[in-house]
Amino acid sequence: MASLDVNPAAISLQADLRRRRFTKMGLIWLAVLLFIGWCVSGTIIADTDWSRIGGRSGVLASIGRYLTLDIGLFPELIIPTLETFMMACVGTVLGCFFSLPVAWLGAANVTPSKTILYPIGRFLMVLSRSVHEIVWALIFVSAVGLGALPGILAIAMRSVGFISKITAEAIENIDAKPVEAIRAVGGNQFQVMYYGILPQIYPVVLATVIFEWDINIRRSAVMGLVGAGGLGLLFFRQMNSFNYGGVSMVILAILLLIVLGEVISHYLRKAVI
Amino acid sequence: MTEQAITAKLPSNGPTWSRYRYPESLYRFGTLLVVVLFLGYSLHFLNVDIAKLIGALGRLVGVVSDRYYPPDLEYVLDRGYLAAILDTLQMSFLGSFAGVCLAVPLAWFSAGNVTPHRVMFPVGRLGVISCRAIHETIWTILFVSVLGFGMLAGVSALTMFCIGFAGKLFADEIEAIDMGPVEAMQSAGANPLQVFLFAVVPQVRVAFTGIAIYTWDVAFRAATVVGFFGGGGMGWYLKRNVQQLENLRVAAIILSIIAMVLIAEFLSGYLRSAVNRAK
Repeated sequence: MASLDVNPAAISLQADLRRRRFTKMGLIWLAVLLFIGWCVSGTIIADTDWSRIGGRSGVLASIGRYLTLDIGLFPELIIPTLETFMMACVGTVLGCFFSLPVAWLGAANVTPSKTILYPIGRFLMVLSRSVHEIVWALIFVSAVGLGALPGILAIAMRSVGFISKITAEAIENIDAKPVEAIRAVGGNQFQVMYYGILPQIYPVVLATVIFEWDINIRRSAVMGLVGAGGLGLLFFRQMNSFNYGGVSMVILAILLLIVLGEVISHYLRKAVI
Repeated sequence: MTEQAITAKLPSNGPTWSRYRYPESLYRFGTLLVVVLFLGYSLHFLNVDIAKLIGALGRLVGVVSDRYYPPDLEYVLDRGYLAAILDTLQMSFLGSFAGVCLAVPLAWFSAGNVTPHRVMFPVGRLGVISCRAIHETIWTILFVSVLGFGMLAGVSALTMFCIGFAGKLFADEIEAIDMGPVEAMQSAGANPLQVFLFAVVPQVRVAFTGIAIYTWDVAFRAATVVGFFGGGGMGWYLKRNVQQLENLRVAAIILSIIAMVLIAEFLSGYLRSAVNRAK
């Protein structure tokens, strides 16, 4: 029965550890809550004009305006919805083209120069992700003018970061044996890439691109807010003419488009993997 | 063996090797053709000028060096702008905290394996999907129209964004847990809340903390632009200077956004690795 004997020292040690962990978690939570309290007092309490909102009835009245749908807007929705969808598709494909060289520069094992070009590739990935799509769209509207083109370019630039980062990681994790084998039988640089690297990274990259396409539909729906066509432009116009029922219709169209995109991407990803 | 002898041995028009066999290669070609045709039609439908598209990146470089250089760095070191950065930071914290708190129950409802009731499942799913589907800028505009300009609208919009973002990741995490403890507690007669608290939470605690930190990182990126539509913070300065065509100041603001996002990303990466180490 010796094995059932419990060591009192071990029990007290465990209780001690548990107490210490408990205190530590408590301190972390206290710090977080104090910080949140500071944020609330700094932003919401100091910055909000409660009288202007008009109390609960005011808020309910403003929400109520959105609840009557403007069904008459339906025929005007079809073309912007198509535009939004196409902008997302073209933007994603263009983003793939842009991410190819970036991924090539930013993958440690295939980069042409590790000292100069590798950091540049990494920097481009971070740059693309850290600038919000609205900011990209603003820059491109000032560079190429209004229309669908700045939206497409903004979506492409914003997608580069994620796609090229995942692609570069996939390239870094490949099995080197096929590459060596192709080189050993005399394959040139292009053949090494096409037959050695591409088949290994292809499923990962395609799944990433489909995922990004799904997100890009969401992004292309707001490009119109800064002058780049699609559903965002219609949303902006309805909002500016205070046609709240029309705003709700546009939002429903966006929801429908996104659910559709999610379903398509679900099946595509299943087909790829 | 000479070269001629080798070539003589091979059949003159034998099978040449190709990566894909006949039906598969046809399907692949067909898919590619459809995609290319669709893209071409899209470019036509959207009235995109191909020459402009090809020259766009060159034009971007030209425009940036012409109009946006040198950035007016003094403007972003001004006291008012630094206060706006602090506001943005506070907004992102509040939004992600509230969003993560609300996302946990929604994720619990929308996880197929531990959902408390059949009716709760679609409620949770629909809540998360509709928060995710609508872009944060649209949420901002809607909240501004209901709550007026200011940071309350920005925080609410970020909260919705974070519910959508964190809710999906949380639900995925819950669906991947080990079902052993859950079944053990259910067979001992625990109610769904007890199952969630004592069988699910201990398994996903560390992952949830990491996701919450990541959510803050992403929410900060979104918080830099909610001000553009009236939500307060850095975005409001961006909007004002864009409308006044103060391009040098816009360039400085964009640079400051990039710098802040980089700091946030570094911080969140550090915190996430610290959480993983302390597990």
